[in-house]
Amino acid sequence: MYKKKIVPAVVKTVLGVILAGISWMVASVLVPKIKKSILTPYQFGEDGFWVWAVITAIMVIGAIILLYLGIHEMIRTTQYNKKVVQSGSYIKSRERNGLVVFCSNAGKKIVQFFVGIGKGLAGIVTTFIHGDWKTKISYVVMGFGNITRGQVLRGLLFLLLEIVFIGYMVIPKGGAYWLSMLPSLGTVAPNPHGAYNEVLDQWVSTPGDQSFRILLYGVLTIFFIVAFAYTWYTNIKQNKIAEDILRTGKPLKSGKDDLKSLVDDQFHKTLLALPTLGILIFTVMPIVFMILVAFTNYSSINDGMYNGLFHWVGFENFKTMFSWDVGGVNYSATFGEILLWTLVWAVFATFTNYFLGILVAMAINKKGIHLKKVWRTILIMTIAIPQFISLLYISKMFSLNGLINGFLIDLGFIKPSEAIDFLGGNNPVLARIVVIIINIWIGIPYLMLIATGILMNIPADLYESAKIDGASGWKQFSKITLPYMLFITGPYLLTSFTGNMNNFNVIYLLTGGGPTNPAASGAAGNVGYTDLLITWLFKITQTGTAQDGSQYYLASVIGILVFIVVGAISLVVYSVLPSVKNEEDFQ
Amino acid sequence: MKTTENSMKRHMGMKAASRISNTIIHLILVFISVIWLIPFVCIVIQSFRVEPTTMSRYLLHHPEIEFKWGFDNYIKLWQSDFPKWYLNTFIIAIVVAVVQTIIVLCMSYTLSRFRFKLRKPLMQFMLILGMFPGMLSMIILYQVLKDLGLAGANAIPGLILVYCASSGMGYYVSKGFFDTIPKSLDEAARVDGATRSQVLFKIILPLAKPIVIYTVLTAFMGPWGDFVFAKYVSGVTPSAYNVAVGLQSWLATDTMTNNYYTMFCAGGVVVAIPVVILFMCLQRYYVEGVTGGAVKG
Amino acid sequence: MASVKLTNVKKVYDNNVVAVHDFNLDIKDKEFVVFVGPSGCGKSTTLRMVAGLEEISDGTVEIDGEVVNDLQPKDRNIAMVFQNYALYPHMTVFDNIAFSLRLQKMPEDVIYNKVTNAAEVLGITQYLMRKPRALSGGQRQRVAIGRAMVRDSKVFLMDEPLSNLDAKLRNQMRAEIILLRQKLDTTFIYVTHDQTEAMTLGDRIVIMKDGYIMQVGTPTEVFEMPENLFVAEFIGAPKMNVLRTNMIKAGDKYYVTPFGAKIEVDGEKGKLLKEKNVEGGEILLGVRPEHIVLAKEQGEHAIPVTLEVNEMMGSELHLHVYTEDGTRLIVRIPTIDLTPQQREGMVSGAKLYVTFEGKVMHFFDPETEKNLLF
Repeated sequence: MYKKKIVPAVVKTVLGVILAGISWMVASVLVPKIKKSILTPYQFGEDGFWVWAVITAIMVIGAIILLYLGIHEMIRTTQYNKKVVQSGSYIKSRERNGLVVFCSNAGKKIVQFFVGIGKGLAGIVTTFIHGDWKTKISYVVMGFGNITRGQVLRGLLFLLLEIVFIGYMVIPKGGAYWLSMLPSLGTVAPNPHGAYNEVLDQWVSTPGDQSFRILLYGVLTIFFIVAFAYTWYTNIKQNKIAEDILRTGKPLKSGKDDLKSLVDDQFHKTLLALPTLGILIFTVMPIVFMILVAFTNYSSINDGMYNGLFHWVGFENFKTMFSWDVGGVNYSATFGEILLWTLVWAVFATFTNYFLGILVAMAINKKGIHLKKVWRTILIMTIAIPQFISLLYISKMFSLNGLINGFLIDLGFIKPSEAIDFLGGNNPVLARIVVIIINIWIGIPYLMLIATGILMNIPADLYESAKIDGASGWKQFSKITLPYMLFITGPYLLTSFTGNMNNFNVIYLLTGGGPTNPAASGAAGNVGYTDLLITWLFKITQTGTAQDGSQYYLASVIGILVFIVVGAISLVVYSVLPSVKNEEDFQ
Repeated sequence: MKTTENSMKRHMGMKAASRISNTIIHLILVFISVIWLIPFVCIVIQSFRVEPTTMSRYLLHHPEIEFKWGFDNYIKLWQSDFPKWYLNTFIIAIVVAVVQTIIVLCMSYTLSRFRFKLRKPLMQFMLILGMFPGMLSMIILYQVLKDLGLAGANAIPGLILVYCASSGMGYYVSKGFFDTIPKSLDEAARVDGATRSQVLFKIILPLAKPIVIYTVLTAFMGPWGDFVFAKYVSGVTPSAYNVAVGLQSWLATDTMTNNYYTMFCAGGVVVAIPVVILFMCLQRYYVEGVTGGAVKG
Repeated sequence: MASVKLTNVKKVYDNNVVAVHDFNLDIKDKEFVVFVGPSGCGKSTTLRMVAGLEEISDGTVEIDGEVVNDLQPKDRNIAMVFQNYALYPHMTVFDNIAFSLRLQKMPEDVIYNKVTNAAEVLGITQYLMRKPRALSGGQRQRVAIGRAMVRDSKVFLMDEPLSNLDAKLRNQMRAEIILLRQKLDTTFIYVTHDQTEAMTLGDRIVIMKDGYIMQVGTPTEVFEMPENLFVAEFIGAPKMNVLRTNMIKAGDKYYVTPFGAKIEVDGEKGKLLKEKNVEGGEILLGVRPEHIVLAKEQGEHAIPVTLEVNEMMGSELHLHVYTEDGTRLIVRIPTIDLTPQQREGMVSGAKLYVTFEGKVMHFFDPETEKNLLF
């Protein structure tokens, strides 16, 4: 008999309490508005009241469910455990909740990381004390030990790196300069028109400090320093190893051996060098940069290149995003509304495609259906056509003067004067529904392909035994097909959900985010009813406000928030998914 | 006797029922096919419209205007910037297809086959990176490209650089494929005297043909559809547009007098045809990759 | 042709699971050694460490006197046959066998001779131009062996090479491996979970459990003198009967008292007990099924049992019986020893008497499960 763990129940309860606390905090902002409505003729709809009310309601319901489940489970678990203990011998349960495992693993990793660094530092000191003179010199002149011990190639590489590093740091406008400028991000604004120079008695253009370059090269310099520190550490380790090997009387690996091992036992380093370098420079670096931008006032007016400087502002931008009133703009409500629609969109876009795709695949695969290949090919063809063509064309089809209206007029449903602007009119609900429907058109072929592959893998004897047990078609679907599909495609569903949250193409090419949302008129980015967070982010970078230009810093804040939302959802879903097992299971 | 009769009846009933349901499904499939084909049929038909018009509610006839048909749009297409855009996109697609395939294969093969200390952290790190909206990086990448002189008129090499550089992130599907090739093949080859690189080139790559083709295909198709970043980088230099940006710019400036709408349709057809043909030829590999990737999560 | 020496070899995986503890073994030149044990006992891991496919966490592996810990598999001059054959699917049988030779940059005509010779020995000449896909399991196995054969390697490693074959083919291939061994005359390390393969093939057998060596010895040694209960139960089929019982020391004589019977431990075993001066007390008594015989009549040495199941194996009967206190025993009796009447009497529920002689008994300490005579 296993004793049940009480931790999952406690975690649920604690999460419930936290959620209740957050919803109380949000609700406390709503209360004055309700009071205001009693005293004055105040309209709820004005500033996103309903959005926050709905979000609060969802959170309250979630909190109640979590608290109920948590407390219920706690009581049952304690009772059960009492019984187990009373019944005599019990074994400690080894099963652990996914989230708990994740947190404890993350904790362990962090501890390990610091322990590792500590050990490394201790190793550096002891190596210096115990090492011979060649090793000691290598602390200053990298690769010295390697060269004097005969590993010339390695040593020269170390030395070269050190020279490049020192050179980069000390040259004018080198690493040291960028680092020193990083805290201020520049003091002299660039002046494209120039300034009067009294000595020369003429107008000289003053380049000034460029905040953008300072931030960019500052970040790159930090990357470089970390890389150099690691190489320096490797250099010391290598020297120690070489020293130890020589002491035992064995020969060292020559440069030729080193080169050989790069296509053999160290082949992974060769293969990974280029891809990871690319990712580091073109993915990691921009992300780090943009995270930092969220803490500055970088915008197209203060672009740090040609116009003005930008500087650190701390958490100011996050405050803006969460406040009710910044110069008459309610960013909090706008963000809340877009987040809500983003989630609604992601749910609908993911699950409509998923279930309809499975149904279409099942229909095509059904016994007795002719021309299977033809149906499949017609659907697959839509994947082949670049999305921008189909999406742009369809958005035109659905416009006021588009073909759809023409069809409807021809068929006599509407008069020419009653033509409907499906995507851009004044009807946000219609636009949202149409967008979801068009997305079904886009998505079903993929899902049909995936579902077909999986359906064919469901063991036929499952269905046969179900038939013998007298299961109807619907029962077979709900008890066999669907659970099997859900189990196998669990991770796919998660990625497609987060992918849909960031589905820029469909929304931007179809509606451009429209129809315009008048409630958010003051906010940056010309917010529309079908805008997702990601399209809003993009539009902020494109459209500027009069006083501040394109507010890149706000876009960065949104980007970080999107990351937090996506990360939180993924983390929770991953911890409960049954099919997320050790990846080695597949091998 | 009675029971057999009953069962016969039931049998007949089942057959009839399944015939009816099959007929219904056939009808549904026909309906679906029509829905899915309508936009393409319409775009082809409209591409042959001659008279200038913004766009039309009417496909084949109009209550007032007499429709004219011809290849005018295609001829105008040839005389416009379109061939340049097409060439741009084609160059990008070819280079990206080659480089991206190499990078993705390196990455996925390594992550599938080698066990080194940083393997798990690397994969987790890339998973987390993937949760950041890529849109975010565009502003900075654009500035960097501009600084390097690779924006505007020189957008093509700039775009190639960016597409290729981060392609290592897309290792997932092909890693899943490599995982299905038994590890004992590698081990047998290593015992037989092969180095790790010989294992890759002599054993694994010949076996990975489907996934290589899948990777080439998706890498080739990507640039044809990329719109946002290409627009960002090419800015206001029409000669550096790719087809997506170019055609979109036509739609955006469509008026009653220019033929941009119908030219967009013609351009769409010209873009779609080679891609669709290529795709249809290699369909099998694409299906294999998509299903494999999803099943392995 | 080389000796292999493993000294204090240890394997610890990343998740701190210890797969092999302190493995010491000296394999002589041209010896055929079999690692055998249940799954997860570390036998394959040990073999793979010899091959260089698995990193050695601690200790040294020497081939021909040279420490090979840091050598890549390709530099160890070994040949290996894998459980799932590991044939290169995109190459023909010829190319599969020639692969290693081509990597050595041998001239094509030499390769041709070597491959055709090997194919002839293995009887796969007519399949040389086929792809592995078109071969049966047995043929694939031959190709895998051929691939290892042509290499003239120092050590020949085989990792459960027969476990993917059906029973009949397995017997046939087992015989062929014995022939192959005579032809190649090199050092073999063979991993299997099947004790029959181990007994029939090995010069010496290494029995492993949970990463520890349980016993190393010739087939006769491990069968007749199992060092502990695990080896005793693992070797031999059906497995040894083990009874918890008492041993009585009466003067110079030893008796065991299973189920109220009293049987003297005579002969060699009795002498050994005396030499070791073993005290009486509770012991685990092991008797192989083939050493239990039907008693003629009730008596001091006879154990009354009830027949539960009678398995007719052809040449012998496997009788599953239980004693008065419900302990189950297996008895193996040659069919030829029974009269037709006796055979007809062997039905479920029949009352029988069984006994065994002193010289066939094994005694184990109930605590440590070690053989008392070691």
